[in-house]
Amino acid sequence: MDTLLKLDDFTMHYRTKAGWVQAVDGVTLSLARGQALGLVGESGCGKTSVAMSIMKLLPYNSKVVRGRILFEDRDIYSMSDEEVRRMRWKGIAMIFQAAMNSLNPVYRVGNQIVEAIVTHEPETSEREARERVASLFELVGIPKERVDHYPHEYSGGMKQRAVIAMALACNPKLVIADEPTTALDVIVQDKILREIDQIRRKINMSMIYISHDVSVIAEVSDVVAVMYAGKLVEMGPADNVFKKPRHPYTCGLMMAYPSILGDKHELATIPGEPPNLLDPPAGCRFHPRCDRASVECREADPVWRAVAEGHYTACHNPVEITGTWSEAVKALNGGERLGASSNA
Amino acid sequence: MRRYLLNRLGQVVLTLIIYITLVYFLLQAMPGDITQMYLANPRIPQAAREELQKQLGLDQGVVMQYLNYLKNFFSGELGVSFSHYPRPVWDILMERLPRTFVLFLTAHVLSFYLGYLLGRIIAWRRGKVVDYAATVVGITFWTAFYPLLSLVLIWVFAYTLKLLPLNQFIEPRLWQGAPFPTNTVFGYMVYGGGAVAVGLFLVFYAFLRGLKRSRRNTARAWLSAFAIIAVALAVAWRTGLLVYIWDIASHMILPVCTLTLISFAGTMLLMRDSMLETVQEDYVMAARAKGLPDTIVRDRYAARTAMLPTVTSLVLSLASSMSGGLVTETMFSWPGLGQILFHSALANDYPLATGALAFTGVFLLIAHFVADILYAVLDPRITYAGQPAVEG
Ligand SMILES: Nc1ncnc2c1ncn2[C@@H]1O[C@H](COP(=O)(O)OP(=O)(O)OP(=O)(O)O)[C@@H](O)[C@H]1O
Ligand SMILES: [Mg+2]
Repeated sequence: MDTLLKLDDFTMHYRTKAGWVQAVDGVTLSLARGQALGLVGESGCGKTSVAMSIMKLLPYNSKVVRGRILFEDRDIYSMSDEEVRRMRWKGIAMIFQAAMNSLNPVYRVGNQIVEAIVTHEPETSEREARERVASLFELVGIPKERVDHYPHEYSGGMKQRAVIAMALACNPKLVIADEPTTALDVIVQDKILREIDQIRRKINMSMIYISHDVSVIAEVSDVVAVMYAGKLVEMGPADNVFKKPRHPYTCGLMMAYPSILGDKHELATIPGEPPNLLDPPAGCRFHPRCDRASVECREADPVWRAVAEGHYTACHNPVEITGTWSEAVKALNGGERLGASSNA
Repeated sequence: MRRYLLNRLGQVVLTLIIYITLVYFLLQAMPGDITQMYLANPRIPQAAREELQKQLGLDQGVVMQYLNYLKNFFSGELGVSFSHYPRPVWDILMERLPRTFVLFLTAHVLSFYLGYLLGRIIAWRRGKVVDYAATVVGITFWTAFYPLLSLVLIWVFAYTLKLLPLNQFIEPRLWQGAPFPTNTVFGYMVYGGGAVAVGLFLVFYAFLRGLKRSRRNTARAWLSAFAIIAVALAVAWRTGLLVYIWDIASHMILPVCTLTLISFAGTMLLMRDSMLETVQEDYVMAARAKGLPDTIVRDRYAARTAMLPTVTSLVLSLASSMSGGLVTETMFSWPGLGQILFHSALANDYPLATGALAFTGVFLLIAHFVADILYAVLDPRITYAGQPAVEG
């Protein structure tokens, strides 16, 4: 497999008045060319921090504690500023969580995209760049005559689409989409996600989707990584993870959102709150909220290990689902604990 | 946009009428009236006194007098100066106005630009040595006592180093038997300077307009700019104007520098503050993510939106230039509007004082009007009467 991006035990903390926020802790993952990875987790678990680390756009109060990020086998934290600048947008582009605000209010939308193209491809003339912007607008479904409008003349959905068009402008090898559709209604959300997915397949681009909503991730990702309190707790092929989730947190997330597999189940939230990352719990960070927690979970940090081909988890007492997920959910609604049989 | 402008223009005219009314009644209320000297003088025969009263229009009621004043003002009839008798007020003002205008416009544009440039650099390098250094230096000048600072500069550069002329508008000895009158040379200077400025603007606009700035176009722009300046200088040299132009220009250097030094910190700190906010904006982060060079992110993204509030400060500084003008023109004996206002008030020269005050008001109103237009051009989000100020 041709690896495009690799995070190797990447750990990043923020310095605040109250102490160090352990926002990203020992994240290890790799992404192949053309692959789509979904990064899912509750709000505040560090998803955006991971994305910003990959873009090398961390704020001044951040510190990379250990680990590396390799893009095309080069450590981006040892690249010069100029090399990083050239890698951005041409190599890795990003659709920001605050897509609405990522357009400069005093420049015409088209110009902001043309600017990115001519910066990275000096051989392209401004006219060619304009033509490309027109075709990008067509691709994301914005009327062409809107190219020369200002951002405030766009609707929210159009801004979102413009930002997507902007991310695709330089044919990047990887696009990180941080909650690209949260500001939109569900129908438009779905449509845009499918559109991005189609474009991705067409030009064999890699993608990292970030969302707190498993159903969004499930639709478009090849690989899923579940994050909790700055750590990865489970990762594997989307089919595996969603059919046979192993980490209790993954199960909890899947119960909390409308089903992706079509079966109806009652929505159940995970009890408790995500921990404060200034002082995360010892042992497994999820143990205070986990109904399967044992003494071991409170004391020892679970190791990251393979549970199936390409499927990893970090849990002392992984869930064992024997039947289908829907059966397990039904059983659960009947009062049993998930995969109770496997866990004496 | 047009409707907005017309509306605004209407407001300007209305404000102007209110202003000159105030000026009129304020001066009326001032004690000591030059006409009393003649009208109450028993040695002037009764018939002559009545004749004089009629000539001055004092036989009519207050309302009639006021209406006459308004009518005369709007037909450009400002009367004849008492202290410069028999020169018409209009003439005097027209001679003085360009001098004040050129001096202060130069100083304010320079100080604004310097403040803008420094502000954007120190905001970008917040907390670094440049930030502290520029802030300390700027505030030192900002809080300095203005007349003292001018005296110090005059003492250093004119008296001790003898690099620049002490004061005044020209060096009288040089102009003895000069082939051109001062005002003509000054006129050439203003028009020529204006033409060069427009030329430079057009050149830079033509070559550096696009989003793509090739090195070749940048070089071309600078070359053409130098060519324009060289041609202008050559023309001035050939016509023999250059020495005289240089004389006036060198007399401007000290007052312009003093004004700039004392006021650039205002724009600088405002720009710094405003930009410290915009650097946090998501679109600045997005611009960085796009891999744009650092200076472009700074100039086109962070500084561009941050400059909007500073435009107001530019106008306010223009507005205050009249009061500052009085001090500057006195310190440097610069024969401008401020000086004439001062002298005419001392000399009880009502027509001239009224005219000078009225002109100051017109000046300010125009400045505010220009600021509104500038705002509309700089910020496409501003809409007037429901329509974007700048089309599409
Ligand atoms: N600049 C910063 N300084 C200090 N702490 C920060 C900073 N940015 C984020 N954090 C903290 O780091 C943690 C992870 O934040 P992050 O934005 O990565 O979460 P997220 O998973 O993207 O959440 P969401 O789904 O709400 O976007 C949070 O606890 C947050 O408070
Ligand atoms: Mg986030």
